[in-house]
Amino acid sequence: MPTALPLLRMEGITKIFPGVVANDHISLELMAGEILALVGENGAGKSTLMKILYGLYRPDSGEILVRGEKVRIVGPKDAIARGIGMVHQHFMLVPPFSVLENIVLGSETSTLGVLSSAKPSAEIAMLMENNNLRVELQAKVEELPVGLQQRVEILKILYRGAEILIFDEPTAVLTPQESDELFKTFRRMRDQGKGIIFISHKLDEVLDIADRITVIRRGKVIRTLLRAEATKPLIAELMVGKPVLLHVDNPRLEAGETVLKVEGLSELGPSGAPALRELGFEVRAAEIYGIAGVEGNGQSELVKAIAYRMKTSGGTVRLMGREISLLDVRERRELGIAHIPEDRHKYGLLLPYSLADNFTLGSHHKAPYVNGFGVQNRKRIAQAARALIAAFDVRTPSELTPAHALSGGNQQKVIIAREMATKPKLLLANQPTRGVDVGATEFIYKQLVEAKKGGAAVLLVSADLDEIMSLSDRIGVIFKGKIIKEFEREATTKEEVGFYMMGEGK
Amino acid sequence: MDLNTVLEFLLKGLDTSAPIAFAALGGVFSEKSGVFNIALEGIMIVTAFAIIWGSIMFGSIWLGLAFAIILGVAMAAIHALVTVTYKVDQIVSGTALNILAFGVARFLSQNVFGQETQSAMNPYAFPSWHGISVFSLLLIPITALAWFVLYKTVFGLRLRSVGENPESADTLGINVVLMRYSGVLISGLMCGLAAAVLYPSRWVSGMTGGRGFIALAAMIFGRWDPIGAVAASMLFGFADTARINFESKIPIPSQFVQMFPYVLAIVVLAGVVGKAKGPAAGGKPYEKGED
Repeated sequence: MPTALPLLRMEGITKIFPGVVANDHISLELMAGEILALVGENGAGKSTLMKILYGLYRPDSGEILVRGEKVRIVGPKDAIARGIGMVHQHFMLVPPFSVLENIVLGSETSTLGVLSSAKPSAEIAMLMENNNLRVELQAKVEELPVGLQQRVEILKILYRGAEILIFDEPTAVLTPQESDELFKTFRRMRDQGKGIIFISHKLDEVLDIADRITVIRRGKVIRTLLRAEATKPLIAELMVGKPVLLHVDNPRLEAGETVLKVEGLSELGPSGAPALRELGFEVRAAEIYGIAGVEGNGQSELVKAIAYRMKTSGGTVRLMGREISLLDVRERRELGIAHIPEDRHKYGLLLPYSLADNFTLGSHHKAPYVNGFGVQNRKRIAQAARALIAAFDVRTPSELTPAHALSGGNQQKVIIAREMATKPKLLLANQPTRGVDVGATEFIYKQLVEAKKGGAAVLLVSADLDEIMSLSDRIGVIFKGKIIKEFEREATTKEEVGFYMMGEGK
Repeated sequence: MDLNTVLEFLLKGLDTSAPIAFAALGGVFSEKSGVFNIALEGIMIVTAFAIIWGSIMFGSIWLGLAFAIILGVAMAAIHALVTVTYKVDQIVSGTALNILAFGVARFLSQNVFGQETQSAMNPYAFPSWHGISVFSLLLIPITALAWFVLYKTVFGLRLRSVGENPESADTLGINVVLMRYSGVLISGLMCGLAAAVLYPSRWVSGMTGGRGFIALAAMIFGRWDPIGAVAASMLFGFADTARINFESKIPIPSQFVQMFPYVLAIVVLAGVVGKAKGPAAGGKPYEKGED
């Protein structure tokens, strides 16, 4: 293998954005029949490098060689022509179009401009067969679950004859089951002799699937590891630049009084079908209660019902014994509910606003942020913001930086800082580390444990079972809108919880 | 009511619907490509003047129509240049064009016909059938053609893709700018056809009477689909025809009766259309390149 010509070789790639060296003389190689993992924290330069390879960015210097031949890639068209295909983190699909239309778009088969579908349909059917990637061709993409949408993306690049496949954090949006399916596809494609570059910061996945692992930090290749020599702590340390505690120090405390009590909660989902069915559980002070479950089993509806939704079809939600279902958001926050929402861009931040303004949200109407006349006190706002930025280690040029300019991990820290500053009695943490890198994840875990130590009741909802297992004191498994099983953490295993997540053992 | 009366009503209704329908088809092409075109009204004002001016100038209604189409496309080209190339807000550009068109038509009329608010009579006319212009009848095949182009051709697929997700189209090598220009220019062409069925025997200031805006309503009510948009245009057109027929027979002040199509437009837009979803990238200029 080492003597063979590499499928792809990137040499000395440098890309400078105003003020940042995103890629600093990066070199890497990809062989045919190999899965190369590209790991690094958010903002390390992985995505920039791949966008250069796909022709979306132009490098300031450096060369790209495909099968030993130097190529010039100035747009996605060139990349496609060289057999390079990319599955972007945010899918590049046209939601109202059919699967077939999405796959052929830009590479249509036609007679005098009129689309023909017979030939491409047959070709795609072959691809589906060979790669075990079946999707209904006439289905509309917007009606497909994310896992199937990703299949469409893969079929799209295979249809264009890609030999080098780039996947930018493909598992970020997938359930564990969908991820397993994806990895099967990876292995199948590798065995067919294709080269795969897999960007991720989930270390378990990387160790599971990669043949070699290239670690990037601050725009530079730190080291390339063979699978055999790689371990989780080693990769994490190379990524962050210092040893990372992957284990959370999370002592069990004497749980206090019941803070949150949900009983018989029922609710309809967006499609009108029941999303919650007489769901009930309680969370006590100084404990973390983890909700484990495959996404889409009612987690979102449950958190909404506690955090802000006033209309449910039945049941009660009590905070410290008081029914809160009919209270508005401000009243609930005043009673001590804080919320780290699952979609931080949509519900957590005002992206174009400064960090300082974002920190005030929810308390923006109160002293010290406003004076007696309801006029904002900018000085106090800036002071408070600087204090939170320091306390929560938010990496930002200043408190006046707009929220959208921060990396995902730092955005999440802003939200956590704001919510923790309210000294909540109940902290709702919904997918708190989604799309967040290792360093920030560690920090977020610590904060959740801190909240618990401070006597708060913490409700943790996560699709990441490892996260649930390492943080929770008690675990409730949600399945089809119901808590079907509860465990004490010490009395169960990951496998057992996973078993109930699939709805087995009821 | 005998059969003849019914036929006459249907034809008259089609004739009244046609200008709205052509403009609505234009709107569909523009918006499917991701560019709002609220200047349909303004473009129609210009094309309605141009068809009279061109017919008299060149001595043929067909050359007049060609002239109207050219000016319609030229107006649309301004909109495309400003919104697609220079990324100006599409509503601002459309509003400016509407205001501009109103003045331009009056200015030209003053200079060409010596009076600001109306033209001379146009002695040239399209062949007619049962009292309506053949162009109104052409609406049906042109609608079918528009549907075919949008949904069955490579051009249509690409046009729709840039209106839904231009980034995605761009990464697949589709020329977003070219597609959007095409969509907007086709709306100018359709406004030329709308002028042909409006009232090609004389231009009067204000003769478009908000039909360009009603066409937008029809386009939305028809869910950005050519057939839906034309069907919705017919709802408005037939409502108007019914109004003309019954106006004199009912004891309601005519001003109220004349409001009927407009009130209908508001009710339809507010009520039924509430949930209609247009092209996802509609109204948003496409910023390509490095971020």
